[in-house]
Amino acid sequence: MKIKSLLIAKRGEIAIRIIRTARKMGIRSYVIKTIKEPNAWYLEEADEIIDFSEWFDDNLPEFLDIERIIGSVKKHKVDAIHPGYGFLAENPDFARRCEEEKIIFIGPSHDAIYRMGNKTIAIDLARKNNVPLLGGSPGTLANAEEARKIANEIGYPVILKAAAGGGGRGMRVVEKEKDLERMFTLATNEAEKAFNNPDLFLERFVREPRHIEFQILADQHGNVVHLGERECSIQRKHQKLLEESPSPALDRKLRNKMGEAAINIAKSVNYYSAGTVEFLLDADKSFTFMEMNTRIQVEHPVTEMVTGIDLIEQMILIAEGKKLAFTQEEIKLNGWAIEWRINAEDVQSGFSPSLGTIEKISWSENEHVRVDTGVRDGSVITPYYDSMIAKLIVHAETREKALQQSSLAIRKFWIKGTKTTLSFCRAVLQNSNFRKGKFNTSFLSKELKIHYQAEPDEVMLAAFFATYDYARGIHQFEEKPLQIEKSKKIAPWILNKRLR
Amino acid sequence: MAREAKKKKSTKLIALSTTNKAYEFKNPLEKKIKYQGEQVEIKLHEDPDGFSYIVWKNKKYMLDVIEKNQNRYTIMINGVWHSFTVETPISLKRRRFLEEQGESSSIVVIEAPMPGKIIDILVEEGSEIKEGEPIIILEAMKMQNEISSHVTGIVKSVEVKKNDSVMKDDVLIEIQKGSTSTSS
Repeated sequence: MKIKSLLIAKRGEIAIRIIRTARKMGIRSYVIKTIKEPNAWYLEEADEIIDFSEWFDDNLPEFLDIERIIGSVKKHKVDAIHPGYGFLAENPDFARRCEEEKIIFIGPSHDAIYRMGNKTIAIDLARKNNVPLLGGSPGTLANAEEARKIANEIGYPVILKAAAGGGGRGMRVVEKEKDLERMFTLATNEAEKAFNNPDLFLERFVREPRHIEFQILADQHGNVVHLGERECSIQRKHQKLLEESPSPALDRKLRNKMGEAAINIAKSVNYYSAGTVEFLLDADKSFTFMEMNTRIQVEHPVTEMVTGIDLIEQMILIAEGKKLAFTQEEIKLNGWAIEWRINAEDVQSGFSPSLGTIEKISWSENEHVRVDTGVRDGSVITPYYDSMIAKLIVHAETREKALQQSSLAIRKFWIKGTKTTLSFCRAVLQNSNFRKGKFNTSFLSKELKIHYQAEPDEVMLAAFFATYDYARGIHQFEEKPLQIEKSKKIAPWILNKRLR
Repeated sequence: MAREAKKKKSTKLIALSTTNKAYEFKNPLEKKIKYQGEQVEIKLHEDPDGFSYIVWKNKKYMLDVIEKNQNRYTIMINGVWHSFTVETPISLKRRRFLEEQGESSSIVVIEAPMPGKIIDILVEEGSEIKEGEPIIILEAMKMQNEISSHVTGIVKSVEVKKNDSVMKDDVLIEIQKGSTSTSS
């Protein structure tokens, strides 16, 4: 069935990203307006707005309110729902409700979401399909005592993971037996909060692996292809900070082998839509299955840049029941792409969130640079959602050229109003092992000692600017004490706040 | 004339960094600085609605005052922030004198490193804690973070309750610094 309209059950950059593809395909887009972001940019980009701002429930955020979303879609006679990432994207109940209400869910079946979402079932499926595994608890853990028993058998360090988890939440590494109980409690609480399911399982922890994931596309007729890998090893507390495609660690042979394993995982649940199979790659190039994400991912643009395939478009076509228009042999990886995540975080204070108003944002785009963002001048970074400001995606013929172009693009990316991870991006680019492609998930904790890059004269120039601003303040006060308020230009969004 | 008298007043200002390094500028408004023994002009471009920048050795440095409270400044330069207090020669002298006097203060305050919600408090008034021990679980941006003490001592007061929402730099706990064996 041809989709004529779709609702995006998500905000921010990915909402805008989906709107653009929908528009290209002649599909009308609907978005949800919330009281938390009444002036957000994605609202203006969409064709239609469904207003959820008149009432809200602190315990049930708008983008998690399944029945309200389904009700709105039926009321407005919208054909399909794209969940984006996060929120309801990997909620099997939501996909099931869509199926029941004859709404097209632009994603996999609820059964595939459920089975891959439950990590113990997923691991069991991987085992049956001869995909290599880490080893750990056979299912969910009853309590800390059971965790202790298994950990003692397989040896420390171990990692506790939420059975319903993903995205680094509900996940704790335990180095020693004495920390186990405390970490078990922390992970249980976090899992309960984040996924409404406190169940944990335990795995052997590979100390310094690479994190490599494969992009999968599968249609509803049994055709499955992979679109190569993404290198996601540069992480902080399991949160990805930059991704590239391809990975410096893979050659054609290993790519084929891992790609085949990824396809087998997808086939084991009759998967369709876009999905991602995550692996750990050890220093000896042996790999183990970690999990499958049954949604579009934040870092999907690097795959789009090297394959030239619009993944959102493919998800929509697959949801319409179309067959894949290409075979594995026809997919070519072209050049090198890197995505830099620019977050509103204070790198100098342990990446803590830096809330506030983006007073001004600008970058220079060219044939190497793509920027996916949901913010513009005056946008507010709220505590309700993640801290992402923008994704800077750079594409060039080789990794070296992509790094060169990245340096230029990062230098020309200017944001005023909040602290950002741009200084971190510069620090990574300066690191010689990163430039050589020699790194793994321990890069931040071991290799990159200083997480931000300051050039030699910067402190002196900053010191000058502080004294200059101070001296000017005194000068203005002495010269024309009554003019101070007048001379201050007030940005319209600040005025807006004051008037309220 | 009064104007002339004002001009004769010292215009020297010192930016004192958090590591106590002093950066001296004779008259900042003249936009000249002493660099490797020479007077060098600073090319400062100010755009009231947008970005300010300095061109220095043919490179652009984006600048922003991100915090300003009397003489306390935080300046962002090319995405990295630096904090200073701006001092006159006299105020710097007074400050240095006071610092020498105040070395003995032994109450350490643990502040929230980020805005969030208090999930759990692992200590109470009178608890003995060691450096590095977790004291509070703070949930921020959907992650649970352990806040640990950077000193050894005795908890003097707990300023927050479970489920409280806190802002960045809110006081969480006060600790009486010192060896924990001095129980009475």
